[in-house]
Amino acid sequence: MSALPPPEAAELVYREAQYLDAQRWDDWLALYRDDAEFWMPAWKDAHALTESPDREVSLIYYSARAGLEDRVWRVRSGLSVASLVLPRTAHAISGVLLADGAPEGMLELRSTWTCHVYEVERAAQHVFFGRYEHRLRNDSGRWLIAAKKIVLMNDRIPTMIDFYCV
Amino acid sequence: MQSAGDIERLIDHRPRESVFRVHRDAFRSEAVFELEMQRIFEGSWIYVGHASQLPQPHDYLCSWIGRRPVVLMRAADGSLGCFINSCRHKGALVCHGGRGNAKAHVCRYHGWAYDSSGRNVAIKARAQAAYPEAFDAESHDLVRVPRFGEYRGFLFASLADGVAPLEGYLGDARVFIDLVVDQSAQGIELLPGNVSYTYRANWKLQLENTLDAYHLTSVHPSYFRLLDRRAAMGERRDVAPAVWQGRAGRELETEMGSFGFEQGHALVWTKAPVERHPLYAGLAELERRVGALRADWMLRTRQFCLFPNLQLGSSAALQMRVIRPLAVDLTEMTTYCVAPVGESAEARRQRLRQYEDFYNPSGLATPDDTATYEDCQEGFRSGELEWQQGTMRGTGAMRAGADEHARELGIAPATSMHGAFDTADETVYHSVYLAWQRLLARGAPR
Repeated sequence: MSALPPPEAAELVYREAQYLDAQRWDDWLALYRDDAEFWMPAWKDAHALTESPDREVSLIYYSARAGLEDRVWRVRSGLSVASLVLPRTAHAISGVLLADGAPEGMLELRSTWTCHVYEVERAAQHVFFGRYEHRLRNDSGRWLIAAKKIVLMNDRIPTMIDFYCV
Repeated sequence: MQSAGDIERLIDHRPRESVFRVHRDAFRSEAVFELEMQRIFEGSWIYVGHASQLPQPHDYLCSWIGRRPVVLMRAADGSLGCFINSCRHKGALVCHGGRGNAKAHVCRYHGWAYDSSGRNVAIKARAQAAYPEAFDAESHDLVRVPRFGEYRGFLFASLADGVAPLEGYLGDARVFIDLVVDQSAQGIELLPGNVSYTYRANWKLQLENTLDAYHLTSVHPSYFRLLDRRAAMGERRDVAPAVWQGRAGRELETEMGSFGFEQGHALVWTKAPVERHPLYAGLAELERRVGALRADWMLRTRQFCLFPNLQLGSSAALQMRVIRPLAVDLTEMTTYCVAPVGESAEARRQRLRQYEDFYNPSGLATPDDTATYEDCQEGFRSGELEWQQGTMRGTGAMRAGADEHARELGIAPATSMHGAFDTADETVYHSVYLAWQRLLARGAPR
C-alpha cells in the first residue's frame, strides 16, 4: 500500500485546519463522528507522553464529539473572557502520510502541524506545533474523523490554548 | 524602594477606620519585585517539591528557590537533600531534565561528578592537575541549601540559615495539608502528566485569585452555564457530572468563610453540594477513618494558599499549583492533579475530567482567569498613587482571631470570616499582605 493516503482522506485533514482558521465551527464539527475521541495528552518527561486518559492527565480529552460541541458553545457564548476576541490563527499542515495498523474500514494518518496565533488585542504572537494522528472511518462513502490525537511539542503554554489553535 | 518607610507605604492599613488598601506598586514596581525575590522567595521558606516525585534512592527533582536553580536528591540511604544546582567548578547545571534517577551526576562541562548525597566523588584528572593546597582545602561538594524540611511529603527549603523553624512557618497550614493527605489511608499522589503555563502579569494576581470567591460568577459563567447545559442534555455519558452540575450553577453554594494566618497563609471555604464529589461514594468509610468533622471539611470547597508559592485547591477536583515569578509582570505556573492513592478507576476518571475541564490552561475556566490577570497588569499602567479597592468586601463579617469554624478545627487564624456565599469576602487578603509586608520590611534600613 502506498504511504500516501487517498486524496479525499488527506483533504479532510487540510480542510479541518481551514475550517478552524476560518472559525467555521459547525463545518469543523461535521468532520467528526458522534463518537469521535479527541485527545491532546500531556508530556510525562522529555520524550514520553501520557498514555492513558483514564489514569493520567491530558491537556484535553473528550470521548465524544459532544465535548467539542461544548467548546464551540463556550467560544460562541460571549461568557468566556478569554474567548471574547479570538486570536487570528493560521494552521499549516505537512507530511500527511498513512500509518500501519488501521482496523478494517479505517485509515490512520500522520501529519505535522504548526499553528501561528496572533492575539489581536495585544498585538502579540506565538506558534504552537506538533503532530497529528487522525483515525478516519468511511461512513457510507464519506470519510469522517473517528479519533484525533494531538501531540503538542511546545507545552509550556503562553497563557492559554484551545481547540482552535492546535 | 529600600527603606522601611517605602515598604510601609505599600499598604494603607488603618484598623480603627476599617481601612485596608494595597498600592498598585505592589504589582508593577521592579524594585518591589526585586525585594520580593530577595526577602520572600530567597529569604524565607518556600515550597520546592513533593516527596512522591522522588520516591526511590538516587531519584532527583530540579526545582527553584526564587531565581536560584536547586536540585532535590534522595541519597542511597533514602534521605532527602536540597542543593544549589550548579557545578562547583564552572557553574554549569549539574542535574537536568526536571526529574530522574542517577547514582552520580557528572557535569557536562569538565566531568566533575557528584553522588546523590551531593558529595563530590570525582574531579577529572585530579592527580595530574598540580592543584595548590588551597584548592584541596576547599569543599567541592554541591552546596547544600541551608534549611530544608518535609511535612507529610510536602518539601520546603530556605536559603536563609536564620529563618524560623519550618513548624512555625507552617503553623495551622498543617491542618489543611492534612485534609488533603488524609483523603486516603495510603496518602496522595500527583498524577502523571506535566502541565505548565505562563501569564503576563504579577504572581500575586494568582495568589489573590485562588482566594477570590467574588470573581466566580463574572469570570466563569461560561463554565457554570456549560455544566447546566450538559445537565439539561440528559444522559451525557461522555462526561462525568461535575460537582456543581445540574445544580443551577452555584446557587446552592450558600455559605462561605475564610481564614487568614499570621504567616501569610490563607483559606477560603464554601459549602457546595457533595453528591458529585469524588470522595462521596466512600464517605462512610472516610468518616470512620478521619471522623465526621474532618470528612465534612474534606468535602467542602477549600482554596488554600500556603504563602508564598503553593496552592491547594479542592473544588472540581484536587489541584496543586506552584507559582514561580519570572519577572514583575511574568509568572510561571506548574499545576498538578492530586488524587488519593487507591481510589477506584471510575472515581479517578471523573477526577481527571473535572480537573482538565476546570484547571488546565487548555480547559474551560483557567484561561478566563489568566486572561483577566493580564488585563489587570495592563491596567496597572494607570499612574501614580493608585490604590486597589479590592480588599474591603466582608469587613463587617470579619473578626480577629478564631470563629466557631476555626475552633472546631482547632486552629488559631489571625482573621476569620463567615457569611453568605455572596459576601465574597476580600478580608482574607489582609493577613496575606501583612505577612508579605513584614517579610519585605525585614532588614530594611529605616
